[in-house]
Amino acid sequence: MRTTRTAAVIVVFAWLGVWLPGASAAWAADALKIGMVAPLTGPGAFSGQLQSNGAKLAVAEVNKAGGVLGRPIELVTEDDQTTNPGAVLAFSKLAGDSDIPAFLGPIRSTQVHAIAPDVLKLGKPVMFGGTDPVLTHMGNLWLFRFRPNDTYSARVIADFGTNTLGKKKWAIVHSTDAFGTSGMKYLTESLKSLGINPVLIQGYSNNSQDFTPVALALKQSGAEVMGSYMTFEADVGILAKQLRQLGVNIAWVGSPSNATTNALKLAGPALYGTFAVADFNRDSGPAAKEFAAKYEAAYKVPPDIFASWAYDAVHVLAVALNNAKGVEPDKVRAAILEVNGYQGAEGTYRFDKNGDGLHGYNIIKNDNGTIAFDKHIDFND
Amino acid sequence: MGFALQLFFTGIGIGAIYALVALGFVLIYRATNVVNFAQGDFAMLGAFAMILLAVDLNWPYWLSIIITLAGLIVFGALFNLGVYYPLRHRSFLPVIISTIGASILLENGVLFAYGPAPQSLPGMFETQGFNIGGVFFDSQYLLILVVTVVMVALQYLFFERTLIGKKLQATSQDKEMASLLGIPVAMMIMLTFIYSATLGGLAGILVGPILFVSVGMGSSIALKAFAASIIGGFGDVTGAVVGGLALGVIETFGAAYISVPYKDGFAFLVLFVFLLIRPQGFFGERVAEKA
Repeated sequence: MRTTRTAAVIVVFAWLGVWLPGASAAWAADALKIGMVAPLTGPGAFSGQLQSNGAKLAVAEVNKAGGVLGRPIELVTEDDQTTNPGAVLAFSKLAGDSDIPAFLGPIRSTQVHAIAPDVLKLGKPVMFGGTDPVLTHMGNLWLFRFRPNDTYSARVIADFGTNTLGKKKWAIVHSTDAFGTSGMKYLTESLKSLGINPVLIQGYSNNSQDFTPVALALKQSGAEVMGSYMTFEADVGILAKQLRQLGVNIAWVGSPSNATTNALKLAGPALYGTFAVADFNRDSGPAAKEFAAKYEAAYKVPPDIFASWAYDAVHVLAVALNNAKGVEPDKVRAAILEVNGYQGAEGTYRFDKNGDGLHGYNIIKNDNGTIAFDKHIDFND
Repeated sequence: MGFALQLFFTGIGIGAIYALVALGFVLIYRATNVVNFAQGDFAMLGAFAMILLAVDLNWPYWLSIIITLAGLIVFGALFNLGVYYPLRHRSFLPVIISTIGASILLENGVLFAYGPAPQSLPGMFETQGFNIGGVFFDSQYLLILVVTVVMVALQYLFFERTLIGKKLQATSQDKEMASLLGIPVAMMIMLTFIYSATLGGLAGILVGPILFVSVGMGSSIALKAFAASIIGGFGDVTGAVVGGLALGVIETFGAAYISVPYKDGFAFLVLFVFLLIRPQGFFGERVAEKA
């Protein structure tokens, strides 16, 4: 009796095993998958959550408006653990699914570098948020950037600090990862073009628990203004606090990580009065304002750069897929490059031949804990 | 001079954090001959408990500390029962794997419950610190130093002057002999886990206002604390403290005078040199002599 019952259970489960995957595949066949590599764990996990929020908001809007090529789109997310090996693993897992025609990649340049060879091998479009200029200048046809690269941020930082704040003695503090190192390189070049040699260039490794040596070096250098490229907000917070404690009160124009909601929360008053470049600011235009309102309605918190680029990337990809009238990689690539004048949360997208969609930055000021929009600077090159 | 003094004070402060966590490593190693890779996560749990109680629920700071430490006492006992006790008769390897598994579970559990955003925990004092002769003394670092000194002194008195401390020492030296002498070995090991968890939690409470509170905070401190305990002499309480302080000072001076990006490298370079020329550390005895 027991044997019969066991056999019956096995048969039922075997039947379910055979039919359920088929059934779910048949159900999912309607949706067009978009792959996304995001840092859901590790030191960048907070940004991954925001990236995911931004992308999901856009997916919901695209689907509400009728989807892509007559089908709803579905986001398939893999965690990169905020590490390069994690990013490679996550991307290769997604790349193995032949039903995915395009992807959203990481926001951190070092992780985009890590997956770049696999992206080239796969030959399908990847939208990413990393700002290292090299990423779109290394002959990889499949990388499309949804944030302005650091040649622009460096020029804006250098110009604002020198010409608007009137400071001539510069120090540069940067993370030693791909983002920080390239940012430092372009800021140094931008300053040199203004006839300035920085008095201090100081690197540090990510997740530093103490910035006393950096703060003391800044103090000794006699710098009047500091430009920074820091990857993680916790590092921004610790440096900001230690600068104040050690009496270093020079002007500070930081990269976008200085203007994220998390950096503002962690650093508190230590960042008051500082400036930063930010690709997203809610007051920079009507599309940014609209995105901010929708995001706040959906998630009850204000958005920042980690969410805005992913939101734009999904929308632009939807436009491109519809214009391409199919999912063939070459046609989708051509359609993305043809996007010219799309008003996104981050600004107006005009893709150049390298795959760079945006060409300018906002300057913002930390006004006692709130981000105040100063101005937007766009470049024609 | 002010420059060097500032570095020295910061180095000692950071070293004291390593020392506190290293003490927990050493105690569990002495009692069980196993490295507890979840030691850093005790600090993470302590810091998150403070976020929950002192920040989210807005309870008084002192009350939050007491409840957090009481919670870690219970957690230490549960950790012993769930992670070590079922494997106590196995070799050290399954136990180490078990502690690594517990570490992953704890980090992901907190990630699930609290999300990935780093949290800001206010310090114990209103004032951030004070300036003497151009050297800034951070009040939180001073507190850490004082707590470390007090904990080391209490630990010394406990192990050397109390019967239960001597029973714990006997257990750590030879479990079979201790058992034959009527010492409840399982209970002694339980006490060690409880004490180590509480010590780790205390480190988390103290370090939270400096490094912010995040899921990964424990593992980054634990790695240095582990190096510190090897440099000091694995299994030696004084060694853990001296190793921790030395590591903090060496990496801070190395960063200031040689290279900031390679700061972490100095800690592990010192570890490498010790493993090469004096593997038993400052105070550890050589394995041959122990036999």
